[in-house]
Amino acid sequence: MAAQGRLHFFASSLQRVLHTDTLAAATAPVTARALSLYPPIVASLTAKSKAARRRREEVYRERVHAAGSVQETLRLLTKLQRMKYVVYPQTLALNADRWYQHFTKTAFLPKLPEKLPSFPLTTQQEDAGGASSSNQASWTDGVDLASLRSLVCNAVLQENFYLKKKKAFLYREHELLVAPFLSNLVTILTSVLAEHNPLLKRSSLGDYKTEIYFDYCIVLQVLPPEIQYKEKVLKALTVTQNKPTNQKKKIPLLASWLKEIYSILTYIFSIACLGEMMRFFSKMHLKHFLSFTGSKVADPYCYGHTQFHFVPDKLKRNRFEKANLTDQIEVCLRANAIASLFAWTGAQAMYQGFWSHADVTRPFVSQAVITDGKYYSFFCYQLNTLALTVQTDVNNPRKNICWGTESMKLYEAVEDDKVEGFNDEVLELLVRFLLNAPNL
Amino acid sequence: PLASLVRRRGCALSRTSWKRRLQSERCNQTGLRLFSVTCSLSGMGPPPRKEKKRIEIPGLEPITYADRMHFVPGLAKPQMPKWERGWHDPFHALGVKHEEMALYKEKPCYMFHQRTKILGGEKQALWLTKSKLIEGLPEQVIHLAEDPLNQIENQDDQVQKAISHARFWVTTQTEPTRDRFWKDLQLAYLNLLQEESLCFQEIFSLSSIEHKNLYLIFRKESDIFQVRGINGLLLNSMNPLIAVASKEEVQATETHVLETFSPISPKIDLQVTNVYEERNDTGFREGYPYPHAHTLYITDSYDANSKFKPEHLRAKMMMFAFGNALVRAKLLYGEQPKVLENPVVVQCVATDGRTFQFMVLQLNTTDLDSSEGIKNLIWMDQDQLLYDTAVCVPIIKKKVVQVPAGFSGYQPETFKKFLALYLHGAV
Repeated sequence: MAAQGRLHFFASSLQRVLHTDTLAAATAPVTARALSLYPPIVASLTAKSKAARRRREEVYRERVHAAGSVQETLRLLTKLQRMKYVVYPQTLALNADRWYQHFTKTAFLPKLPEKLPSFPLTTQQEDAGGASSSNQASWTDGVDLASLRSLVCNAVLQENFYLKKKKAFLYREHELLVAPFLSNLVTILTSVLAEHNPLLKRSSLGDYKTEIYFDYCIVLQVLPPEIQYKEKVLKALTVTQNKPTNQKKKIPLLASWLKEIYSILTYIFSIACLGEMMRFFSKMHLKHFLSFTGSKVADPYCYGHTQFHFVPDKLKRNRFEKANLTDQIEVCLRANAIASLFAWTGAQAMYQGFWSHADVTRPFVSQAVITDGKYYSFFCYQLNTLALTVQTDVNNPRKNICWGTESMKLYEAVEDDKVEGFNDEVLELLVRFLLNAPNL
Repeated sequence: PLASLVRRRGCALSRTSWKRRLQSERCNQTGLRLFSVTCSLSGMGPPPRKEKKRIEIPGLEPITYADRMHFVPGLAKPQMPKWERGWHDPFHALGVKHEEMALYKEKPCYMFHQRTKILGGEKQALWLTKSKLIEGLPEQVIHLAEDPLNQIENQDDQVQKAISHARFWVTTQTEPTRDRFWKDLQLAYLNLLQEESLCFQEIFSLSSIEHKNLYLIFRKESDIFQVRGINGLLLNSMNPLIAVASKEEVQATETHVLETFSPISPKIDLQVTNVYEERNDTGFREGYPYPHAHTLYITDSYDANSKFKPEHLRAKMMMFAFGNALVRAKLLYGEQPKVLENPVVVQCVATDGRTFQFMVLQLNTTDLDSSEGIKNLIWMDQDQLLYDTAVCVPIIKKKVVQVPAGFSGYQPETFKKFLALYLHGAV
């Protein structure tokens, strides 16, 4: 009951500041009579009436539209600070992915996009164990998967076998095993693949545990809470842009997965039941209105390429298996991908000057890899619309799209100094993700 | 258990868990295990408890308030028999006394670990490692640094971008906190090195190792010393580094006299322990494809509680580079002290993101017991600034701008040296 009461409070506080589209119709006759010698009749700015409030909102919206720079837009949007619900991508809530699809207006497709680049492979030097190195192979003609595999195997063995480690603290095993391996893996892959994808040379890989924020206002059938996404990414690969960030004709450096941005028709779950819904939000409310891609607007690396997440120990597979919730393993990963990628692409779009009342004119695309060291799942996201508020979401055919795979094993087990059952498919996918560039 | 957690509305961070996280982070930095929130936030532990002196007069029995079962002023505190739980509770177990432990030894051991700050600084470290200090880096490394072929494409631009990212752009606040950006900066530098040097994958393990635990024990002037602990990021290589100094230079160190600081004991500030194991351990299992320690990267924290003074930091660099070299030498040439034909070389870089200390250590001898004979060699290039200032908000005093906002005073020479140490042995 208390939660409902709080939501009511939010609804009432929100109504005071909502921007509405209905005002445009009201002002139209005024412009028609502009030839009149008398000044146009408009509502008061200061009166305590509905018309005055609409006028104030209109003025505010015009000011945001007229803002010269992205910094100015963001400053105007962040001026009014209020409490809001926070959504954490890594959640224990059951069936979170359906809810997250609903919150973000995302359609989920259980496959990878067809446009993902393939690459010339040289796999003459097949070795069964995978651990032995093949130094003579050249890196120039195509990606040498055998050499890459041996490097990755070495990295796996280093963390799981060769290095003598202490027992990890409760729920902090990932800090000791997964996080160092993942950062090693990303470094290996990017340095090897930089020859094949010049984009990687122009990207920054310094982001470590970056926080990403994106907040917006949606209506969940009954009451309108404000939602903010907040997350920590282990490593985010951001891509540089050659020209100034303010130009609107630029295309994002990653090619969009679909040319027509709203051609896919899929059913998005639309459900609303308040008591159930509350568990997706944190109890804590943040007061700052932020949109943050992990770096400030001044950073030239303004587009996202790939995020690498690791699964925290509380969301490990064996915990789900113990609780007899095996169906929730994939759900959890999917929810993580949808929420974090929506937040990231949304924040990128905000940095290009788009917001809910100035919807995106070109899609924003990013990728994510989620892993617990052994299992890998891959996701691509295309942001097609930011217009999710009450006023802008009327007759909007656009949907955001998320492509994803189920989790796959990179290797079966580590037995002594051997990696058993190394799965080349996962490595290939990793390579394909990192080789993705607009010209491919 | 999970279902019950699910019922508790997600895994969001509450205020207490935020504090606990901060607490554990602080503990990670300072290395102190502080259990109360206040203690860990202030970085100080509680003062030791004072034992009250109990006066016992023979023949007199104190009148206590034991039978009243509550405190009565004027009556003595009763001495109750110790309550036994009757079962082993791991959370309230007191642990074994040191004297009863299996590894207890009569002779104490003086330990140098990752938090040791020795009073003597470099002098003491030189005495402990039996080394001769040479100012500046060796010639080979300087040549590498000056060679334009060994530069990263757009080197200065890339480095400045990395610094700006870590110092200005990475946070939603005006300025990132100190405990965040020193780690960011080091990682950024290492990322730059690793991504740009593509042709050396066969030589280096590209992965830097964070949680390696070193364990080394050695004897010097009839005392036992130990170097142990987690020691920063380690870059390992497949092949060992070739000796930096020639044989004549090594022979010439015989005449060098180690500096003493007589009123102060050279063992000062080292942790004394009687429970220790006589073993040497590199921290790796056998068969590791990159067994040779190449460069050790030590991050100096900005946290006031755990920050090292420059002399302490240099001593730490010497001790840990020496530890890694000696462990390797003992593994290769046996426990017997002798002059090594192929000296072991280990490099070390310490930085807080802005100031760099570079060091190269050449282990010529494992005979540390006496102060005579051939010494080890240490090259040290200290207090090199990479940039002067990087502030988001200008510092103004008396209406005069002392430090302008932004990034100023970039010194490309420092990063060249940093790069040269990385490329040493590979080019």
